[in-house]
Amino acid sequence: MHDLLDDWAQCNALRETSAILKLFLGLGAIIICVSSVTPSAPLFVAASMSLIILILAKIPIRIYSRLLLLPLSFALLSSTVVALMHGSGEMLYSMQLFGLEIGVREDGAALALLLIARTFGGMCSLFFIALTTPMIEIFAVLKSLRIPESVIELSMMIYRYIFVFLDQAAMIHSAQVMRLGNLGTRSALSSFSMLASVLFLRSWEQGERLIVAMDARCYDGRLDLMEERKGAGALEIAATAAFLALALAISLMTGEEGILRMGG
Amino acid sequence: MATILETRGIEYAYADGTRALSNVSLTIEEGRKIALVGPNGAGKSTLMLMFNGILRPDAGEVLFRNERLDYDSRSLRKVRQRVGMVFQNSDDQLFAPTVYQDVAFGPVNLRFPPEKVKRYVGYALQYVGLSGYERRPPHHLSGGEKKRAAIAGILAMEPEVMILDEPTSNLDPATSEEIMEMLDELNLGGKTLIISTHDVDLAYRWADEVVLMKDGGVLRRGSAEEVFGDLELIRDARLKPPMVVDLYQELVNRGLAEGKKPPKSILELCDSLEGGERRCAVQGAKRGTIYVCNADELLLENANELVVKVDADYTGAMGTRAKLMAEEAKIRVDFTYGVIDKCILKALAGKSCLVLTSQGMMGQVQKRIEAYSQQSGEEINSVDLSSGSNGRSLPIDRDFVGTKSLK
Repeated sequence: MHDLLDDWAQCNALRETSAILKLFLGLGAIIICVSSVTPSAPLFVAASMSLIILILAKIPIRIYSRLLLLPLSFALLSSTVVALMHGSGEMLYSMQLFGLEIGVREDGAALALLLIARTFGGMCSLFFIALTTPMIEIFAVLKSLRIPESVIELSMMIYRYIFVFLDQAAMIHSAQVMRLGNLGTRSALSSFSMLASVLFLRSWEQGERLIVAMDARCYDGRLDLMEERKGAGALEIAATAAFLALALAISLMTGEEGILRMGG
Repeated sequence: MATILETRGIEYAYADGTRALSNVSLTIEEGRKIALVGPNGAGKSTLMLMFNGILRPDAGEVLFRNERLDYDSRSLRKVRQRVGMVFQNSDDQLFAPTVYQDVAFGPVNLRFPPEKVKRYVGYALQYVGLSGYERRPPHHLSGGEKKRAAIAGILAMEPEVMILDEPTSNLDPATSEEIMEMLDELNLGGKTLIISTHDVDLAYRWADEVVLMKDGGVLRRGSAEEVFGDLELIRDARLKPPMVVDLYQELVNRGLAEGKKPPKSILELCDSLEGGERRCAVQGAKRGTIYVCNADELLLENANELVVKVDADYTGAMGTRAKLMAEEAKIRVDFTYGVIDKCILKALAGKSCLVLTSQGMMGQVQKRIEAYSQQSGEEINSVDLSSGSNGRSLPIDRDFVGTKSLK
C-alpha cells in the first residue's frame, strides 16, 4: 500500500552489518559535512554515501533519487535566497526587479554553494542510516549507550504502532475518497479533521487493548530489549575509519585554503 | 477426566449497563477441544476474558483446577501463565517491534533466566513454523504469519489451557485449516483448547464439545453432533446447520442416504451414501494404498527421491514441520489439511497417497486409518515408511520395512 523507508531498512544488502558501525559512519559524516567550511568535503561525502547506498546496500536508484528530490529542492530554494541576499565582493549577475537592482555577489554564491553541499552531504549520510539500519537495531544501540530503558521501551511501542495507525489512516482515507470526501477544499478539510479525530479515538482504544494484551501475558514491567548482535569486523572498522579520516582531511585541507583565500 | 476450568454462576454487565453474561456455569475438562459457538453479542468473548482473569465477574466465581481465582496479582499471574489467550486481532497482541521480542515477552515477565527465555522462544517459533522470522517486525508479516506469531507468544509461556478468540477470522481457507490443524497437534500434546467461532462448519468438525451461547447464557452444551443435530435450536441461536449436516438431512429425506447419526465429515457422508448394497457395486474397484512417512526422520536430500520412488497419485503433508520440509524440498503437496480423510477418500477411489507427517502424529494417522477400516469394512492398505534408524538411509531402500497390511 505504501512504500516505506522502513521496508528498505529491513531488506537491504547492508542489513547484517553492525548497527553501531553504520550509525558511527553516518553521524561522523554528518558532523564533517556541517562543520566543513568549503563544499569539497560535503560533496565528497555525498558522492561516496550515494555510492555506498546504491552499490553496497543495493537500494534501487529510482527509490533513492526520489528520496533525495525533496530535501534537495528545499536546499535549492533556500540557497537561491541566500545567494541573492548575501554578501559582498564582485557582482556576478544582476537584474532589475521593480526598479530595484538585485544580484548575486561572489560571496553569496560561495555561501549558497556551501549550503547546498552541506545539505546534500548531510542528507545522503542521513539516508544512509535510514535506508540501511532498521529501528530495532537502533534501539539495541541506544540500550548499549545506557539510555534509560523506559525511554527505549516507549519508543519501541510507538514505533510498532505507527504502522498500525498508518494502515488505519490509509483505510479511513480510502473510505473517504471512495465516497468523494475529498472533492473541493471544504469537504477535504472536514474529511481530514474527521480522519484526525477518528484516529485519535482509535489510538486511545488501541492503548486500552494494548494494556489488556500485556496483562494477559503477565506484564511485570519488563520488555525484552533486542539481544546482542555480532560486532563489526576489523576490516569494516578499518574501512570506516579510513573513510572518515579521508573526509576529515579533505575538509581540513580545503578549509585552510578557503580561509587563506578569504583572508587574502 | 479432571476439571481444569470452571465457572459458577457468573454474572457480568458492562459499564454502560449492557448485560453480557447471566448465570453462566460451565466446567471444562482437561485435554478437551471446546468450541464456544453463538451469534454476535452472545457473550463468547466476554466469557473468554473471564477464564484468565482479565475481567472480573460481578457475581459468581471462576476456578482453575478447583482453586478459586482471587484477583490479587499473585493468583492472576499464576492463572495467566496457565491459561493463555490469543486475541482475535493479532495486531492487538503483537505489540513488540520484532517477532522475537514479542514471543519473549511472556517468558521475560515470568522472570525466566535469559537462557531459558531463548530456548523457549526458539522452541515456540519452531513449533509454529516461524523459525528465521525472529528479527522481523510484525507489520512485515502476513495475516497467517501474524496469527502464528501470536500463538507462539502464548506457547512460549507453556500454558495448560489455550483460549483462542475467533482464531480463523480474516484468514484464507487454507491458512485457517492449517491453524486448526496446528491446534489439533497442540491438543494431542495435551493442551486443553477453547475457541470461539461462528463458523459452524469448523466447530462441527473440530470440536469434541460445543457450547452454544445466546444472550449471555449457555443454551446447550454437548457433543458437536448433538448440538448441531438439533436444527430448531440452531435456528434459534441465529446460526445455520453445518453444510454436511444440511446436505445429509436432505439426502435422507430423499432416501439417498442412510445412517443412524449425522456424518461428521465428507468421508462419513460418502460412506452413508455408499452404505448397504451400494457398496457392493463398487467392490470391484481396486483400493489404493496410503504410504505414511515420518518427515522428522527423513533427510532433506532424500525427500525428493522418496517421492519419486513411491510415485503416489497424491501427496499430503500433516503438521507444521512436515509442511516446512515439503516446502524446502519443493515437493508438490496436494493436501495440507484434513489429510487423512482426503487420503482415505482417494484410496477408496483407487488412488495411492503419500502422507508426510511428524513423529508425534504417526500413530494418529495409523490409528485413524485402522479405525476407518474396521468401522467401514473397507480394506485400506497403509504402509509405514519409517526407517527405524536415524534417517541416514532412505527408508524405502529397505524394501518397505514395517509394511503393514490392515484387515
